[in-house]
Amino acid sequence: MLSCSINTLKGLYDISGVEVGQHFYWQIGGFQVHGQVLITSWVVIAILLGSATIAVRNPQTIPTGSQNFFEYVLEFIRDVSKTQIGEEYGPWVPFIGTMFLFIFVSNWSGALLPWKIIQLPHGELAAPTNDINTTVALALLTSVAYFYAGLTKKGLSYFGKYIQPTPILLPINILEDFTKPLSLSFRLFGNILADELVVVVLVSLVPSVVPIPVMFLGLFTSGIQALIFATLAAAYIGESMEGHH
Amino acid sequence: MKNVTDSFLSLGHWPSAGSFGFNTDILATNPINLSVVIGVLIFFGKGVLSDLLDNRKQRILNTIRNSEELRGGAIEQLEKARARLRKVEMEADQFRVNGYSEIEREKWNLINSTSKTLEQLENYKNETIQFEQQRAINQVRQRVFQQALQGALGTLNSCLNNELHLRTISANIGMLGAMKEITD
Repeated sequence: MLSCSINTLKGLYDISGVEVGQHFYWQIGGFQVHGQVLITSWVVIAILLGSATIAVRNPQTIPTGSQNFFEYVLEFIRDVSKTQIGEEYGPWVPFIGTMFLFIFVSNWSGALLPWKIIQLPHGELAAPTNDINTTVALALLTSVAYFYAGLTKKGLSYFGKYIQPTPILLPINILEDFTKPLSLSFRLFGNILADELVVVVLVSLVPSVVPIPVMFLGLFTSGIQALIFATLAAAYIGESMEGHH
Repeated sequence: MKNVTDSFLSLGHWPSAGSFGFNTDILATNPINLSVVIGVLIFFGKGVLSDLLDNRKQRILNTIRNSEELRGGAIEQLEKARARLRKVEMEADQFRVNGYSEIEREKWNLINSTSKTLEQLENYKNETIQFEQQRAINQVRQRVFQQALQGALGTLNSCLNNELHLRTISANIGMLGAMKEITD
């Protein structure tokens, strides 16, 4: 009787098990990479490049349909860059745009596309930004970008900003260079992974109607997170480029 | 209880881990919820998005049309201004041509009238000079006569006495008698 119920309980545990942290490892060179993240990243890249290529075929003066939509997105990104960076925002629009679009499309594809239909030997397909490696990579790219911006604009006097406004704040300014990528990466990672987990848990508990509001909330917050990441990246770049010039 | 849990078990039986494949468990892959979410998103999003994009397209159309109109208006005004310029230039040429002859004529008119006036003034001057001369001469004559008469009167008065008076009267009577004899 006891072993029977234990077996039943084990069976129940098998159904309601939620797996996180299992990765689909590939061996490339000497590294183990998370294959599922690469697969979903490729899908996101294919969606972005494919839709962009299709939309800008045959451009008209009066835009219609998808050309109009992409132009609108471009105007939006330009507006964000211009607000944050200031006058010399031109060269940075592609970078900010890539950040925003990649994060946005990967978040929404993770929430909307039925990834769970495809089953992998280990782990599962989901948004590529639910992996800390992806978000840390994006955050480090942003760090490199704002360092590059500051150094090309001001030369070595860029490092003078560490003792602004007073030299007492030097340790804090140095610390800021580490916390900026840290906060960027963890904010995005935490939001996306947590939303995914909530949805998966709710689905495994009450499959049919209850997860829907949470899924909408997830769409909303993941969109906001993409915008926040892009805006902060632009703000850091603008901050390191501003000055007495 | 066992039957219920058994049915749950049979639902949750998926292929063993370690292989690729398709998960056909609709409770795990969540297609219903996904389709509901996607449906609602498309339903509302389509309206909002098409509104946004239509506004954008209208704005672009209007801007292009406005700038075309402005351009047309500016070209028209340029043409008008050019036509006016040509007309004014022609008139200016006319004026220049006419003006020079006018100027010449006016100049000659002025010269003529001025010389006429000058002549007249010359005449007046000469007349006045002559008149003044005459007057001076008359005055002098008058004075001379006056002086002469005064002198004569004075001489007469100084040497006039009864005897001379008598002799003069008798001489005059004799002359008168002689003239009367001649005329008879």
